[in-house]
Amino acid sequence: MNRRSFLRTSAVLTTGLAALAASLKPLMEMTDFPTAERFMQKYYKEMSKTDMEKVLKRIADDVEQQYGLRPEVRDYKPLNGVEYVYCLNLTRCIGCRKCVHACVAENNQSRSPEIQYIRVLKLPHGSLDIEKADHNYAPESVPEKGFFYMPVQCQQCKNPPCVKVCPVHATWQETDGITVIDYDWCIGCRYCEAACPYWARRFNFTKPSIPKERINPNMSYLGNRPRRQGVMEKCHFCIQRTRQGKYPACLEVCPTGARKFGNILDPSSEVSHILRTKRVFIQLKEEMGTNPRFFYYFDV
Amino acid sequence: MTSSSKKNLTFAALAAVFLILAAVFLTDALGRPKLPAPLPLVDTNFLSTATVRRSYADLVKAKDDLSDFDCYTCHEKGKAPPLRYDSRQNLIVAKEHADVVMGHGSHGRNNNCFNCHNETNLELLQSRDGRQLRFSDSPQLCGSCHGPTYRDWETGVHGRTGGYWNRTGEPTDRKACVNCHDPHSPHFPGRHPAPGPHGLHETADAPATHPETHR
Repeated sequence: MNRRSFLRTSAVLTTGLAALAASLKPLMEMTDFPTAERFMQKYYKEMSKTDMEKVLKRIADDVEQQYGLRPEVRDYKPLNGVEYVYCLNLTRCIGCRKCVHACVAENNQSRSPEIQYIRVLKLPHGSLDIEKADHNYAPESVPEKGFFYMPVQCQQCKNPPCVKVCPVHATWQETDGITVIDYDWCIGCRYCEAACPYWARRFNFTKPSIPKERINPNMSYLGNRPRRQGVMEKCHFCIQRTRQGKYPACLEVCPTGARKFGNILDPSSEVSHILRTKRVFIQLKEEMGTNPRFFYYFDV
Repeated sequence: MTSSSKKNLTFAALAAVFLILAAVFLTDALGRPKLPAPLPLVDTNFLSTATVRRSYADLVKAKDDLSDFDCYTCHEKGKAPPLRYDSRQNLIVAKEHADVVMGHGSHGRNNNCFNCHNETNLELLQSRDGRQLRFSDSPQLCGSCHGPTYRDWETGVHGRTGGYWNRTGEPTDRKACVNCHDPHSPHFPGRHPAPGPHGLHETADAPATHPETHR
């Protein structure tokens, strides 16, 4: 080897190594290295009861380490003979956005940047054109004359496009109608966000920041346990509440009772009554063929 | 210049550029974007599931002050209190009952206290079909005129029902009419809305709540 080829080779090697080091810089800042246990965690549908118990314990330990309180993390299975449907009365919604923030509090969403599963649209009377909606209204008092308000969240479609596009099956629809996400299986490609016509899906661009004093310790694996940076999340009809027979948080807080939730397979439920007697429509992008389980209606 | 020395020069220049770039990335010489300031937490009033008003039954359950309903501390038993109207047929509310704002029915058409209150026994309510009702049974009074709404309320479609959607054995918490509607002025009051969505970037409609972070 002569001097020239030595110099050339070493220059190339040095450049190559420097480029490699520079490209691996983000790894140096990574705080959330998966433990071997989490890395080898099975897919939700393949977990046995003991696997799930171990995982729930791991999650509870993580939350305790991070937020200083011991949560109760459980895995709620779907109830038999139940299909959830949500009805929302557009005559009653006053656009106060209490549902938005009750959801944020119940489901341990990041506060900064703030993730909100529910988006309330302010629409002028006489039009259901969502493109004309105002998302950022902030008047002194709602409701404002001449407008009506339409909260939009995950519609838990019967024919969900988000489930179709997920390359790893991290999201699927359960027997009770809720489309769920396994946060430990999601790779963060955001195809589901692109596929959803309602923009129901939210992505964690940063590590979620939840203030310790506002953590909700009643958690579930598929529901409101704290997520990591780089995974998708969305409304799951408060799975940790509804699978215990309770109403979702958005309904509990609504001051006018515009929100109605229940089991459509039960003919005596409120939602069955509404669908039989009220002027109901699946307005939101009906033409997309997603067949949402979220029904908007007007009454007197 | 020979082609081989041109090639060497190219390599050397490229190597230099890449090394400088690597140095810049590794040392963050161009700085990092500033993290946005944390957003203020939402006011906990927006998270409350309490109703707008409390009914007579709520006050009884909470063992609260019921003196507002003790009519005969001031009124005389057996004597119907007189009603006074102004020149435009509006009811003049007595100053002792100044907290009552009349507004039930458009054009002030429901401005007779004894449409609902029983003039011979002020501690009862009366419906137009002659039923005498206690204050804790007031939904029946409202329902005697507002039939369709009452029917919807009974099924849980009108008004607020909290607790459990699963009715098998679980108690539901169905609110009464007066938990939301002031019986003298029933129109549901407006309120200040909770904060809207916070975008990462400022737009014309959505002023940023934290400083821009671009460089």
